[in-house]
Amino acid sequence: MPIEPIRTTFQIQLLSHEQLNRLQEATLTILEEVGVRFPSQKALAIFADHGALVDHDTQIVRIPRDLVRRAMATVPRYFNLGARDPACDLHLQECVTYFATDGCGVETIDFETGQRRSSVKADVERMARVADYLSSIAFYWPMISAQDFGRAAPLHELDASWNNMGKHIQSETLMGEVPARYGIEMGTVIAGDKDELRRRPLFSVVICTIAPLAQDKEGIEGALLLAEAGIPVGFLAMPTMGTTAPSTFAGALAVGDAEIISATVLMQLAHPGAPVFHSLMEAWADPRSGAYVAYQAKARCRYAQIELAHHWGMPALGGAFGTESVNPGTWQAAADVAMDPILVSLVGTEIVTGLGLNRSYTLLHAESLILDDELYHRARNTLMDLEVDDNTLALDSIRAVGPGGHFMAQEHTRKHMRTMMEMGVTHQLGPDGKYRDPLEVAREKVNWILNNHQPEPLEEAKRAELSRILAAAGRELG
Amino acid sequence: MSKEEIITRLAQSVIDGEPEDAVELAKQALDEGLDPLVCINQGLTAGINRVGELFASGEYFLPDLIIGGEAMKAALAVLEPALAGDQERQILGRVVLGTVRGDLHEIGKTLVGTMLTANGFLVTDIGIDKPAADFVSAAREANATLIGASALLTTTMPEQQKIVEELKEAGLRDQVRVMIGGAPITQGWADKIGADGYAEDAISAVALAKQLVGVPV
Ligand code: B12
Repeated sequence: MPIEPIRTTFQIQLLSHEQLNRLQEATLTILEEVGVRFPSQKALAIFADHGALVDHDTQIVRIPRDLVRRAMATVPRYFNLGARDPACDLHLQECVTYFATDGCGVETIDFETGQRRSSVKADVERMARVADYLSSIAFYWPMISAQDFGRAAPLHELDASWNNMGKHIQSETLMGEVPARYGIEMGTVIAGDKDELRRRPLFSVVICTIAPLAQDKEGIEGALLLAEAGIPVGFLAMPTMGTTAPSTFAGALAVGDAEIISATVLMQLAHPGAPVFHSLMEAWADPRSGAYVAYQAKARCRYAQIELAHHWGMPALGGAFGTESVNPGTWQAAADVAMDPILVSLVGTEIVTGLGLNRSYTLLHAESLILDDELYHRARNTLMDLEVDDNTLALDSIRAVGPGGHFMAQEHTRKHMRTMMEMGVTHQLGPDGKYRDPLEVAREKVNWILNNHQPEPLEEAKRAELSRILAAAGRELG
Repeated sequence: MSKEEIITRLAQSVIDGEPEDAVELAKQALDEGLDPLVCINQGLTAGINRVGELFASGEYFLPDLIIGGEAMKAALAVLEPALAGDQERQILGRVVLGTVRGDLHEIGKTLVGTMLTANGFLVTDIGIDKPAADFVSAAREANATLIGASALLTTTMPEQQKIVEELKEAGLRDQVRVMIGGAPITQGWADKIGADGYAEDAISAVALAKQLVGVPV
């Protein structure tokens, strides 16, 4: 099925220009006065070369605001995310929002046995096929980890994805220079050559910043290599209010943004013009237990950070879906996330993760992807323009029926009633004439996709090349 | 100020989470010739126990617990060096706690440490991104009976196994119990690597730690 992104002409603005400037000013102040820890000699050397203040003992870099401004001037506002199937290439642009699956879960409810167990590569493959089929999914975060492949897992997750879908892949685990190098090699095999990979990057990588105000050596050094090869990288800050960030949203935005901008500046200094996206996903620490809480009733101005990203001139990766509910089909599973796809699109987010995981991004029930897909389509349709014309006003029909009576015998009704409703998981009639259980319908749909959807297979020669690279990586990484 | 008053106020400084007051009172106690062990047991420990109760009953939130712990730690730094040679503060056990190599997830580990401290354990937090060898050597140095290892990534879980193995190699496996935790950790994994226990959250980590050191839960 072709990708159906959310396109909307509606837009909202959550923050005023003044608030955005104030937030940006806070970031500049933090970068200049407090600094960010980069535990990487390579990163420190690049910063020092460009005139940032580097303390080699503490590994803290303080970046003067002029340098930040200069570096940020080269970040591209939009770029492309290529796909193995060119029809699935994504061209980031205004008023279009592309969604991905959620990624990197650690456990799954086995689709056949119903038992909870650790995830393996076969799960990544299977879910890639399901995601390839769904029109809500524009790009893929490997949904669970290939835990049967040790430290080479991130590369096996790429392999499982490319072998089972045509869409762009975004890795959340490809950390460090060695894995990054193998990943680029794999991408080059599929793209044909390095230039083509740069022109249509078949994968991208999300690297977390380490709240508060630090970076991951592996993440940063891998990112430098990826940026050099033209692979888009995103920096994802996850400030948790109360533990790794102040307990106020503005403060969390400031800390998270400073982390993201510091890493973006580094990429631009090393490789001016490198495609980088901005991502900030806030959460709260439960004040009593410290548990990670991504959804609560008092959240305010959700997605303000997207506007902050745009204010810097960067595209943004938003976080939507990802309920805390352990089980699918619960009230909470929908309540947590149902507003997300609407809001995140209204603020003009370019790319968004991710549908389909439960228990705060850790547990996969395959059915949840179908249920989230339904929420997605509800949002997508809600945001579509209303057609008001002679045909849709149906005045002739209204005249013909007049006061009283009904519309069922009208030709106009016959023509439009077939398509006026989306028969999603909630409106499938059972043999008893009653609506079936949505969870059961979702399960059946997963099954149907697995039995019927066969993505275009990867050419044999490329498959063999990937296997060869994986074997080498396995030997090197263990 | 009477001796009783100093001790009561020491306890209160922990309950209120006032590290500066705690330090001042501890110094004053020593100046007035109070027994440091009594100050610790009847002042600081009583205070932190009260903090624990208030936290459990829902009145105190995390920062109250953490800052109370810091007040206690600050006063201990004054009182402990003054203990006589044969005196020792009563603790439930010595724990070495950290997040394993390659893993930078800090909060879960820190919370476990906070809860263990508030419940009477002496915790040495060795930080994040620590190889198995660091856990083992810290356990040896601290004369610990428990190691707590946190791993949040499926790729770093094997380091927990290494801790168990290296403890054996160091000949310490009989003295030191190992407990593990983190989002991807299960009882099954604990069994598989021969760890002594797994806990899902900080509250159950305390119960587990007590059980492992043989204290009634
Ligand atoms: C917040 C977070 C981060 C923060 C951590 C900030 C910090 N300074 O600690 C940041 C943004 C830095 C981060 C980075 C990364 N993360 Co992260 N992170 C999370 C998240 C959302 C919550 C973790 C958390 O803080 N929970 C709150 C605390 C209180 O809970 P807890 O840690 O589980 O601890 C409790 C229990 O587990 C237990 N416990 C914990 N330790 C111990 C120890 C003992 C001895 C005992 C008894 C009990 C115990 O008690 C604790 C208290 O109740 C989890 C998802 C999740 N739901 O767990 C992902 C998650 C763990 N991260 C993940 C990933 C992939 C990463 C990155 C690789 C992402 C990237 N692309 O860069 C990096 C890795 C960096 C590194 N090298 O470690 C994945 C792991 C997937 C996998 N297959 O391994 C998860 C599952 C999310 C996901 N699906 O993508 N992450």
